[in-house]
Amino acid sequence: MSLPAGLWLLLLFVIPLFMMLSMSLKTCSPASGACTMTWSWGELPHVVNQYRAQFVTSLEFAAIATLIDLVISYPIAYWIAFYGGRKKNFFLIMLLVPFFVSFVIRTLVWQFILSDNGFFISFLQNHHLVSQNFHVLGTGFAVIAGLAYNYLPFTALPLYVALERIDRRVLDAAYDLYANRRNAFLRVIVPLSIPGVFAAFLLTFIPAFGDYVNQEILGGTANTMIGTVIQDLFLATSDYAGGASLSIVLLAISLVGIWFYARVLGSRSIEEYL
Amino acid sequence: MSEMEKELGGGAIDPSFWRGLTQPRLSRRQALGAAGGGLLGAMMLGAESGAASLPNKGIGTATWWKKQKLHKTLNFANWPLYIDTLKGKHPSLVHLQQTTGIKTNYYEVIQDNSSFYQKIRPSLAAGQYIGYDIIVMTNNNPQLHYLMELGWLIPLNQAAMPNFHKYAGPLIKDPAWDKGNKYTMAWQSGWTAVGYNSKKIPNPGKSIDILFSKKYAGRVGMLSDAFELGHAGLLAIGVEPISSTEKDWAKAAKKLQLQKSDGIVAGYYDQSYIQHLKNGDTWVSQCYSGDIFQADLSTKYADLTLLIPEEGAMLWTDNMCIPLYAQNPKDAMTAMDYFYSPLTQSVVEYYNDYICPVPAAAQQLLHPTGWNAAALKSLRPEIGLPYSVTAKSQTVFPTPARIKASKAYYQFKSQTEIDTWNSLFLPIIQGA
Repeated sequence: MSLPAGLWLLLLFVIPLFMMLSMSLKTCSPASGACTMTWSWGELPHVVNQYRAQFVTSLEFAAIATLIDLVISYPIAYWIAFYGGRKKNFFLIMLLVPFFVSFVIRTLVWQFILSDNGFFISFLQNHHLVSQNFHVLGTGFAVIAGLAYNYLPFTALPLYVALERIDRRVLDAAYDLYANRRNAFLRVIVPLSIPGVFAAFLLTFIPAFGDYVNQEILGGTANTMIGTVIQDLFLATSDYAGGASLSIVLLAISLVGIWFYARVLGSRSIEEYL
Repeated sequence: MSEMEKELGGGAIDPSFWRGLTQPRLSRRQALGAAGGGLLGAMMLGAESGAASLPNKGIGTATWWKKQKLHKTLNFANWPLYIDTLKGKHPSLVHLQQTTGIKTNYYEVIQDNSSFYQKIRPSLAAGQYIGYDIIVMTNNNPQLHYLMELGWLIPLNQAAMPNFHKYAGPLIKDPAWDKGNKYTMAWQSGWTAVGYNSKKIPNPGKSIDILFSKKYAGRVGMLSDAFELGHAGLLAIGVEPISSTEKDWAKAAKKLQLQKSDGIVAGYYDQSYIQHLKNGDTWVSQCYSGDIFQADLSTKYADLTLLIPEEGAMLWTDNMCIPLYAQNPKDAMTAMDYFYSPLTQSVVEYYNDYICPVPAAAQQLLHPTGWNAAALKSLRPEIGLPYSVTAKSQTVFPTPARIKASKAYYQFKSQTEIDTWNSLFLPIIQGA
């Protein structure tokens, strides 16, 4: 490994990781913030046990949101890559423009749109399309929708890159070998885009898994995600050890995902997308 | 890290401070014996040795104050929407500059006690100016007490607060959380009570039970602050919060857990609860008194109504204090006392509508006698209400009955108690 890359990794990954790990073993005073190393290994299993349900919720929500994003993004990316013609860049920018607005503000706007007095729900209720008690805000559905919306570009862009770089001559070859359009798509394009699908999955799933903004703004009482818990532990209760332990578990789960990807598709294909 | 800070490291909370005056203090030897036990031991140890060597030792004495000079600059950190505002300016602060030359940089940066404390703590621990000369902290959270206990506040110059000594109201003078106003002067107080939408709920009754009623399932908002949530639970089970025990807390937590599992709670909110009440996501909510009054000012939200339940409402006070290492302490002191002039307070209160620390401000609202006449007049189109509405509002100048219905928060005696409290009420808020 070259020196700058190693230094980069050391500074931005290894050192913070070890600091987080050592934080999880310390006992900190909520008052002064001073921490003493007490080697309390018990914190890790304790918080994992205590917040197991929130981990499961996060896994579920992130997985569903990622799947939704894949289903929505694939046709879009495919269409732009294969039929965008000279306007490809224009379409890509159209896809990205909404995301130039800050993440939090976009989510807050969804809160207004989905609120019970907001125009969307009011409209449905006034036309008797849903019951008067119908609401979206505060449900798991709202959180998943928010996650899917906010992380859409993270899915669409790697997919686009994967599809765009497919050599058009392999398609010609498929047609020469009497493949119809359906077969050419399913047996040539889809397999060739698989690394892009995995990259899109990781790039969407990992941040969505640790996300707390969407749950905080759109969620209710029964769908707390692990990111919200970590934020609470650090900022509301000053439980640095607990927060650090949960962060480590979160990171470990994400690393397992990346390791799996590297095993199946090789680490080179990660470099190509990240 | 200095030796002193190391000793404070365990979290120096003097138990006697928390009004746990009945508890015997641990001797140093006992504390050392307990130290192996971890946090509590370390905490007591810190308290035992800390008092003599707090970082604010020698600071804030009469001689120290004599040496301070006015710098004509003040950095003031406060909560949002908490001071008279007109077209981006603050008339009361403009007048302060005109009369004393002190130019105030006013920052609305405090959203909640805990996260603000986390932001200023590293600077204080490192012995650095936090960038603010006045900060405003609430008495119902541990952070204000941490600041006092760790010696991170500058004792006030009692000789430089004539307005305070003359005009401060009984609710906030010599308060339980800061005997003799050694470190703090109240900015405003308020109740944590019940707010409801009178269009959706015409007959709310008088009880806090409305927050637990199945009739409003899915339409009830609760606060995500574990201290506020827990106290609502205590009131609901009919326990006096100040004298409650851990057993009562467990009962209250059970009641709140049931409220959640029955689907009554729509969400646990921070300050955003008021938005949910306005949006109609909730019909009834735990609320802060002044927010409801301010929402009422807009005809669009005139249906929002404040209910002080017969079980009582929690009374909290936000306190101005001068953090250690402040660069402009004399300017801070001057400004703090300036806000205790009934003239100043009448202007602040006309905008604010929380509980006024200066009862005499009511007369100033009805019959302004000085610079406040022009300031009030300039605010009038913005607020759109006669001054008498504020002057006669029971949520601003409470009647004796209202004062009687006000409940004091439980005073924690140790970090262990805080941890117990959190372990009971946080899981409700953080439910999966």
